[in-house]
Amino acid sequence: MGCCYSSENEASDQEEETKRLLEPAASPPNKPLNGAEHSYHNLPSARTDEQAMLSSILAKTAINIIDVSAADSQGMEQHEYMDRARQYSTRLAMLSNNLTHWKKLPPLPSLTSQPHQVLASEPVPFADLQQVSRIAAYAFSALSQIHVDAKEELVVQFGIP
Amino acid sequence: MTTALTQGLERIPEQLGYLVLCDGAVLASSGELENDEVAAAVVAELVGTACGLRLQRSHDPPFKRLSVVFGEHSFLVTVSGQKIFVLKRQNHGRDPVPV
Repeated sequence: MGCCYSSENEASDQEEETKRLLEPAASPPNKPLNGAEHSYHNLPSARTDEQAMLSSILAKTAINIIDVSAADSQGMEQHEYMDRARQYSTRLAMLSNNLTHWKKLPPLPSLTSQPHQVLASEPVPFADLQQVSRIAAYAFSALSQIHVDAKEELVVQFGIP
Repeated sequence: MTTALTQGLERIPEQLGYLVLCDGAVLASSGELENDEVAAAVVAELVGTACGLRLQRSHDPPFKRLSVVFGEHSFLVTVSGQKIFVLKRQNHGRDPVPV
């Protein structure tokens, strides 16, 4: 299905994540489904297969859709809304604790108040680039020549007879 | 707002493209950097690393602009008002730096 939060392929893996937080007591989309299933018991088998497939698609769609207009709004009291809001916040807080890879980026310091002028100004002089490259090459060469010169025994006996 | 941000960038001579980033998202882009989210991510990380370095004991980083120089072109980067400005500019007439 091409909706924003399509989870057809991962339905089995993420059942816990995709199921609704609060299941409505009597979900209206289920009613016509149940009624429809009864009506095609006596149809020929090919037709029934097709109907079964269609009804499974319908059922799958119904699972993925939350019909806001059909949600039971009649019995909801103020405190029930508050309870649900609290429950949702608790769930969200639990989920956000698990997002360890997501971290707030530190604020960037402002390097300039005139970015266009800074970007338009002269490029780094070629001589400077050459010098930096030369220094880096020297440093690399020096680092690669560092080695340990073993002059004494690594293990020394302390007067053991 | 976006036009005010980018008008000056458009006029810079020998520019091949630019990116304006905020909080890791591309605010504006053009030319060879148009919608280049890979370059945006790399530059954002580079800026983060560079701003984390403190060569002197001061609060502000001791530089105004980062230049990443390649043979034919350079990437020039600066930060202003929590926005990262990236400009790709043609290098005029010089040989690549021998290493």
